[in-house]
Amino acid sequence: MVLDVRDVSKSVHGPEGRLDILAGVSLQVTEGESFAIVGASGSGKTTLLGLLAGLDTPSAGNILLDGHTLEGMDEEARADLRRRLVGFVFQSFHLLPALSAEENVMLPLELEGDAQARAKARAALEAVGLTARRRHYPAQLSGGEQQRVAIARAFVHGPRLLFADEPTGNLDQRTGHHIADLLFALNRDHRTTLVLVTHDVQLAARCQRRIELEEGHVVVEAQP
Amino acid sequence: MNLLRLALRNLRREWRLPELRTLAGSLLLAVLALGVVATLAARVERGILASAAELIGGDVGVSSPQAVPEAFADEARRDGLAIARTAGFPSVAFAHGRSQLLEVEATDGAYPLRGKLVLADAAGHRHDGRGPAAGTVYLDHHALVALSLKPGDTLQLGGQPLRIAAELVQQPDGGTLVNLAPRALMSLSDAERAGLLGVGSRTQHRLLLAGTPEAVQRWRTWAGRQTLPQGAELITPERTQQRMRTAFDRAGAFLHLTSLLAALLAGVAIALSAQRYARRKTPEVALLRALGTPRRRVLGLLLLTLASLALPVALVGTLCALGAAQLAWQFASTLFGGIPTELPWQPALLAAAMGLAVLAGFALPPLLRLAEVAPVAVFRQSQTRRVRRFDALYLLPALVALALIWIQSGSLKLANILAASLAGVALVAALLASLMLWLARRVAPGAHPALRLGLAALARRRSLSVVQATALALGLTALLLLSVVAPALLDGWRRELPANTPNWFALNLQDKQRDDFAQALTRIGADQLNMAPLAVGKLTAINGKPVDGLHFADPRAKEWADRQLRLSWAGTLPPANRVIAGAWFAAKPTRAEVSVDRLWRDMFALRLGDTMSFDVGEGRVDAKIVSFRQVNWSSFRVNFFLLLDPAHANALPHTWLASFHLARGHAQAMAQLSRDYPNLSLVDVDDLLARIRQIVDRVGGAVRWILAFSLLAGTLVLAASLAASAAERRHEAALLRTLGARRAQLRVAAACEFALLGLIAGLTAALGSAGAGLWLGRAVFHIDGFVPPIAPLTMGALGCAFVVMLLGLGGTRKVARTSPMRLLREG
Repeated sequence: MVLDVRDVSKSVHGPEGRLDILAGVSLQVTEGESFAIVGASGSGKTTLLGLLAGLDTPSAGNILLDGHTLEGMDEEARADLRRRLVGFVFQSFHLLPALSAEENVMLPLELEGDAQARAKARAALEAVGLTARRRHYPAQLSGGEQQRVAIARAFVHGPRLLFADEPTGNLDQRTGHHIADLLFALNRDHRTTLVLVTHDVQLAARCQRRIELEEGHVVVEAQP
Repeated sequence: MNLLRLALRNLRREWRLPELRTLAGSLLLAVLALGVVATLAARVERGILASAAELIGGDVGVSSPQAVPEAFADEARRDGLAIARTAGFPSVAFAHGRSQLLEVEATDGAYPLRGKLVLADAAGHRHDGRGPAAGTVYLDHHALVALSLKPGDTLQLGGQPLRIAAELVQQPDGGTLVNLAPRALMSLSDAERAGLLGVGSRTQHRLLLAGTPEAVQRWRTWAGRQTLPQGAELITPERTQQRMRTAFDRAGAFLHLTSLLAALLAGVAIALSAQRYARRKTPEVALLRALGTPRRRVLGLLLLTLASLALPVALVGTLCALGAAQLAWQFASTLFGGIPTELPWQPALLAAAMGLAVLAGFALPPLLRLAEVAPVAVFRQSQTRRVRRFDALYLLPALVALALIWIQSGSLKLANILAASLAGVALVAALLASLMLWLARRVAPGAHPALRLGLAALARRRSLSVVQATALALGLTALLLLSVVAPALLDGWRRELPANTPNWFALNLQDKQRDDFAQALTRIGADQLNMAPLAVGKLTAINGKPVDGLHFADPRAKEWADRQLRLSWAGTLPPANRVIAGAWFAAKPTRAEVSVDRLWRDMFALRLGDTMSFDVGEGRVDAKIVSFRQVNWSSFRVNFFLLLDPAHANALPHTWLASFHLARGHAQAMAQLSRDYPNLSLVDVDDLLARIRQIVDRVGGAVRWILAFSLLAGTLVLAASLAASAAERRHEAALLRTLGARRAQLRVAAACEFALLGLIAGLTAALGSAGAGLWLGRAVFHIDGFVPPIAPLTMGALGCAFVVMLLGLGGTRKVARTSPMRLLREG
């Protein structure tokens, strides 16, 4: 089990009192599996993704990430875990504008202190078909190319889990399709567990399993 | 009107943005610094003129060895000017069987027209007075002591008994500030009656005038066209203040330098925050353009927003400057007592205008370029604007800075040195930063992970890093110049006038009196005795051609050629002298040689190897010019324009000029000395020394005061340059945290990044300020042997690097706490 979520809730306190974003969510994801979280805007998808990846802490419940319980872990320890186990792909790519494609991909390796960062980054860019663009800066790349760089960055350090937040949300249908192909190919070839948040039904349908959230509750759990 | 309303609404919403507040703060500071110093400088300038008038005893006048022609007084009456007459001459007074040579000033009842005549009665109570009535006289302390008299007693002067009506404490003395002999003031009518003003009396007649500035100017214009009698000259504040001029010039240069640096610091902060503000506005402008707002309207909106920020801030700055200037006014008024103290508002307004010019120069380029943002930038950031290799608009801040330097410096030389130094610093900082970044890219792969991250961060924001390093270097240079170099220059100035600076001169000492006189001085506790031979002669020819027949471009040359010259000689180069061309005298020259001061070289267009001929007594000397000297005339040492070689000059008829230091409170001993050596003229320059020391102290105070502003401006520069990268830094931190970076990693990386930035800026600033200081010290302030304090500058540079690192780290604390969830929320 790579991800084991047990009865997780998340509430925040706003001007109108307590607001429950997630309530009693439980789920399990196994190694190499592809898993989709779907739901309407405001259903709690992004909050759940943040909790699963250890970016935030739940108000109640526990999460086991590759056997490590996140409960009681401080932000530093969770950062350590993320660095070793987790890769991210965002809807808005989140590449650093002043870095070339290659340098962006090198970032997670640099954080690890990996001396082979540049060589591995080049290999990762080659895997996503961007060798020719490695010296380009994000502003000089199309949306699809930027997302491919982001995917190379997410895979470059060989994470156990890859979290993707609306990875095709900012792309046209054709490009989105290519990006999805790339994600699933890497998931298959590297046996990397893929957890993606989307409201694209077709994309969700390509995952082995999916859950649907509605107002913080899991309403559907399905295997297509 | 709609556009204005929109601009105001924009401004209200954007007020929370730190870059807008830094922009406002920087402008406020620029106006404040410029305003206060300009007001203070105006005060000093007025003070100079007013105090000159005080010293003269009138606004203007004529001084002549013969009676001043009545036409000058008639014209003054027509101009509505008040008139006073005086006549100065030496005369011997007798009392209690003693005699004493006095410098007598005979005055009418109108004297003085300006300034104060301070008198003291027998009980020592001081009061202001006018010229003495007939039958009375005022004596100064030296004269009273020398003749064992007190107010109320009687003495014989000019063959008539005169009652001492009061002790003379202070009088407008023609600006010499040098007392040749004990002084007495008597009635002009008594002097005329006693025949003291007759032919051969060595009387100097003075006609003094005072009135409104316009009337004085009218009379001066008229008098300038008249032919003055032989030996007569106009008395003007400019001439009178010659001795104090160096001190005032230096003081002015200091004030201008410090205010200018403060304003430039504020300019750098303005430039940085404007850049940041422009970047922040880019998406908004792109959106406006996408929604169909024409470029002209966008530009109008931007300019109106900036103007609606700048005008109120400039107004507040002006009011603050006037308030602060009022304080500065009182602070400066102790230097020039008794002068009207109305506050001039023009300098503060001018400062506001200059502040706005600084804002326009530094902030407009990025904002004007902002209007060029393409509507498509809403979709693609790379489309934000046209890429230019060279943007001429960015020459504007450089031009504004140059204009500011030239207008504000008050001296072309100061302006050029400062502009060249700052340009050099900017260039070196940019080159050094680029080099470091290039090295960082190469060193980074093998370095410690945290260091590598820091280096990578610097290298990532390449152009911003270069801008940050350059701005910091400029800011720190200005700060180091103000905090280390300026006080060191002031110290150098102060060191020129140490406590034991010679404050007495003895003229006319004979060869055989030298030893006895030296012993007598030692007995009364005098020290720093220095004697120089003095021969009086006349320049007769240059290269064999009589000077009477030569034409000189400089009119002063003719005046000097007509005068009696003081010649001296020395085997070794005297202190406060520097050979700037040629070589000092050979040990045994075969023919007479002369070393000439630079002023004379320029006046007479002299060259090395020329021959100058002098008549000295019955003899004649033909001396070859072997060197030119630069003399520090403010050093209070005995200096000469012309120095002959001793081997050929020793035989010339001469006396000796002695200078020595004697603490105050030895009036009795000096009176005795004067009686023991009746042929000597003893000159007291204590007043002059005290006055110059006071100026140095006041300038020191003013500089410290402005330093406080500058530190504020420096902090703003630092804040602005750190804020310049804060948003990128926060976004980057969130991403790195998401990717698993530890806080410590972020902190160490930031520490490396800022330490490196600080080090580049600090080292460049230390080098730049040392170079500028050396240059300014030699070329503008003429402080001999001035060496910038290297150790404090190095410490300052390292300290700056450390402070930059600490502040950077402080700013990073918030950044390091950025929640990684921020990225998911941003999408």
